[in-house]
This record gives sequence, C-alpha cells and structure tokens, in this order.
Amino acid sequence: MDRSARDALQRGMGRLADGDRSAFEPVFASLWPVLRAFAARALPDRAEAEDAAQSALLKVFARAAEFDPRRDALPWALGIAAYECRTLRKARMRRREEPGAAAPEAMHAGTPEDVAIERDLREAAAQILGALSVLDAETLLAAARGERDPSATFRKRLERAIARFRKEWRARHGAD
Amino acid sequence: MEQIDLRLRARRAYELGRARLGAKAAAVVLALAAAAVALGRPVEVTALLAAALLPLTAVLAFRGRAAGRAVWPALLAGSGAMLMPLAVRAGCNVFGPSCMRFCLPACVLGGVLVGAAVAVLAAREAEGEREFLLAGIAVAGLAASLGCTLAGAAGVLGMAAGAVAAGTPVWLGARTRR
Repeated sequence: MDRSARDALQRGMGRLADGDRSAFEPVFASLWPVLRAFAARALPDRAEAEDAAQSALLKVFARAAEFDPRRDALPWALGIAAYECRTLRKARMRRREEPGAAAPEAMHAGTPEDVAIERDLREAAAQILGALSVLDAETLLAAARGERDPSATFRKRLERAIARFRKEWRARHGAD
Repeated sequence: MEQIDLRLRARRAYELGRARLGAKAAAVVLALAAAAVALGRPVEVTALLAAALLPLTAVLAFRGRAAGRAVWPALLAGSGAMLMPLAVRAGCNVFGPSCMRFCLPACVLGGVLVGAAVAVLAAREAEGEREFLLAGIAVAGLAASLGCTLAGAAGVLGMAAGAVAAGTPVWLGARTRR
C-alpha cells in the first residue's frame, strides 16, 4: 500500500469513527485487498486465509466506531487480521492434537510432503521426550492420551513438563 | 462468500458497533439517574428526565458526527452540574437547613459552567459547531436537570438560563477570534 492510499485509509477510518457513513465504501475498497493479501501470506491454506481475512474485515468494521484517529489505521487493522490468523492457526493445531480429529485430517492432508513433515515432527518430539526425565515424559504422554488427573499436583507437573519440553525444543530446533 | 454479501455484512457490523456506542451512552445516563435517585431525588421526576435523556444520547451517539462528538463531554459537564445542588443539600446535613438557600444559585452556577464548557468545545469544532452546540446544550441541560429539580422548576430554568447566558457570548467570542 503506497503512502497516498495509506493516508486515504487513515482519513476514511477517522471519518467512519466519527459516524460518517459515506466513508464506508472507500474504506472497504482499500482495506479488503490488504487484509486478504496479509492473511494469504500468514496462512498457507487458501480457504483458511479467506476465512481469516473476512473475519478480520468484519471485526475492523465492528470496532470502527471505537477507532482512535490519532492511531495509525493500517497497523491497527493488520493487528486485528494477525490475531484472526493466529486464532485460526491455533484452532487447526488443536484439531490435530485431538485424537478423534486426527483421522479425517490425515485423509485430507495425505500428500507425500505432509506425511514426511508429520513423520519428522513425530520423530523430533520422540527424541525430546527421550531426553526428558521419566516423570516428565510419563506426564506428557498421559496428558496426550487424555488421561489427565484433575488434581492440582498433576496440573503443575504437566506445566513444568511442557515448559521443559519447549525449552528442549527451542534448544534443538530454535523455535516453538 | 460473495463480495457483495461481505460488504453487506461489514456494513451491518459497522452499524452494530455504532449501536454499541449508543448503548454505552445510554448506560451512562442510567447510572446518572440511579445516582440522582440514590442522592434523594424523587423516582418519578428522575424517570421522566431519564426517559428524555436516554434515547437522545443513544441516538446521537449512534448517529455520530458533530452531535455524536458532543455527547460525552456534555454528559460529563451535565453530571458535574447535576451534582452541585445535590452537594449543597448534602452540606445542609452538616451546616443546617439554612444553607438550602444556596441550591438555586448552585443550579445557575452549574448552568453557567455547562454553557461555557460546551460553547468552548463547540467553537473548536472544524465543522458542525452549531450541531455540536445544540446537542451538547440539550444533553448537558437534561443531565444537569436530574439534580437541579431539587430547587424546583426555578432551579431547572435558572440552570438553563445560566447555560444560555454564559454559552452565547463564549461561543460568539470564540468564533470571532477564529
């Protein structure tokens, strides 16, 4: 987005915040392609990126009345889009972690590349589990199997085990 | 989703966002009315004034523009003016019933301060200053009336006269300087 388009967006958002409905069309026209492109870069799946962009656009307009015109409009809107992308990504990861959801996803994501990535991730996780203490590994495996003890002791033990797992992962692979 | 459908949904989301803003202003009016009742104003009169003030603030905040911008400062100024006669009455509990004679002057002083404050803010507006002034005076006057009914109709009229008497020269002076 060039400087003049960014200035126009800033003015448009300011007018929308003030209740000027005539600014709706220009803001929609300039914001939609930007959010769409942002989501497409953040999420590899096209359908998910489209969902995230639409959801972000609706949230931007829902909050337009509270927009502070002293703030920069573009980073504000992209912040909302980034949050939507992160939420979708987390939801997808949770679906993968759930045992019941794993089977249908595996059927869809069955390209050789996906299978290889999945296998590498499992191997890397297994190596780190092997490097942890027996108690930490058992706690993580119990939680993964869904055998969670509701006690506070188990919860704290699980938190510590996850923290050590993350630390080890970062040390080996450099990212979460 | 088709782009035209998305546009409609975005427009609806925007209007709902503005409606939320109107609801917030209405909630503030309800809180002011509750405070007036808690400070001893009769429920019937307070309900009548709140019934006029609540839709006015909600609609103005929802609509936006200059009149919408006037809602929050006017509510703030009006609530200050509302508390002035109520503070005098609270003082009577300490200093005796004779200080009730200060109720009417407190209403007029509250009106003067409200009128001057709204006029100064209206004169700063780049566009729609008349709209800002009218909406601001209406909202602030009704909010102040929640407390000024303590001095009867004279209190409300005195407050309104004070607001007009102070607001007009301040606004004209500020406009002339611009």
